[in-house]
Amino acid sequence: MRGLNGHTGTAVGEETVLADITGMLATLLDEYGLDDVDIRMETTFNRDLELESIDLVTLAGLLEEKYGNRVNFAEFVADMDFDEIIELTVGRLVEHVVASLKATEAG
Amino acid sequence: MAIVDIGGGLALHTQRVGPRGGQPVTATAVLVHGLLTDSLASYYFTVAPAFAASGIDVVMYDLRGHGRSTRPATGYTLDDSIDDLEALLDRLEVTGPVHLVGNSYGGTVAFGYAARHPERAASVTLIESEPASVSWAAKLDGALGRVMHELAHNEAEAIAWITANRSQNTARLAKGAARLARETSLARDVPASRVLTDDEISSVRCPVLGVYGGDSELAGLAPWMESVLPDCRTVVVPGHEHSVFVEAPGTIGGHILSLVLGAPVPVRLAGAEAR
Repeated sequence: MRGLNGHTGTAVGEETVLADITGMLATLLDEYGLDDVDIRMETTFNRDLELESIDLVTLAGLLEEKYGNRVNFAEFVADMDFDEIIELTVGRLVEHVVASLKATEAG
Repeated sequence: MAIVDIGGGLALHTQRVGPRGGQPVTATAVLVHGLLTDSLASYYFTVAPAFAASGIDVVMYDLRGHGRSTRPATGYTLDDSIDDLEALLDRLEVTGPVHLVGNSYGGTVAFGYAARHPERAASVTLIESEPASVSWAAKLDGALGRVMHELAHNEAEAIAWITANRSQNTARLAKGAARLARETSLARDVPASRVLTDDEISSVRCPVLGVYGGDSELAGLAPWMESVLPDCRTVVVPGHEHSVFVEAPGTIGGHILSLVLGAPVPVRLAGAEAR
């Protein structure tokens, strides 16, 4: 099936992935009674959204549900040092997901 | 995410990762986290991916009261923790010998499980941790007493100090710890736990690996552990205190992998070793 992005076949763009991840974060934040949180590429998980590492485990599960084993959030984070994890932005995850989906498509 | 009902109104949040792409499972490891500020996330985002890629079936769970597991008001003695681990592994049908790994209190739980079921323990790794003894209980009594007195019942002041002198992230972890300490009997229960006798401690005959931070008070336990346990090796990581695992997961993960896989030298962990 051809994707909406035309000639690149099923390649998924940043906008689509950002929308997917925003939806997942809304589900997570809703548990804390937070709705209508503005999520952009530069939003940080730790400082801006105040998510704890256990919330990121839940996010990893939601990513796996959506993209299957093409995206492995735990492996992505395991390669970072502690300060990088604290500074992790939604945008960096979006770029990682797009790159992972592209890589599996090429392979 | 899996929520495993272990009976008694308790459900434990469990994550299990293993080798992919048809790679065979060579061993099972059960990773147990520490008290108050900790959860299975400390393993999930550090050593678990590399362990799974090495052929290990990795079981992680949140202790009762922690992470996304149920938080009952009472029932936080060491025996309660060991009962929970036992019930979880029974539900998961993990009955063969497992490699137990525990950080801080998690190590005391792991060791207690091995003492209760020697036939089910392939090895035990204690990170900044020790078997339950009278001196362990006294240490926990002091530490948890300070948590109650300085944090749980003086939260606003304590959090302001932590925010100013540490970080926003540490302050958030401390708030969670204060809530857990206030809402449950944990701080009373843990120090009141039944402890092991010297004979029970030395009855753990499987290989035991002790890992300590060079600047931690617990590093002094290394010689004692090696003298009382039949098969114990200890590693001291210089330049770290009690939080050595979160600061150096690559180094510690390598030592655990070499123990589990029976490799003669510490294995380097892909990615995480830079820490």
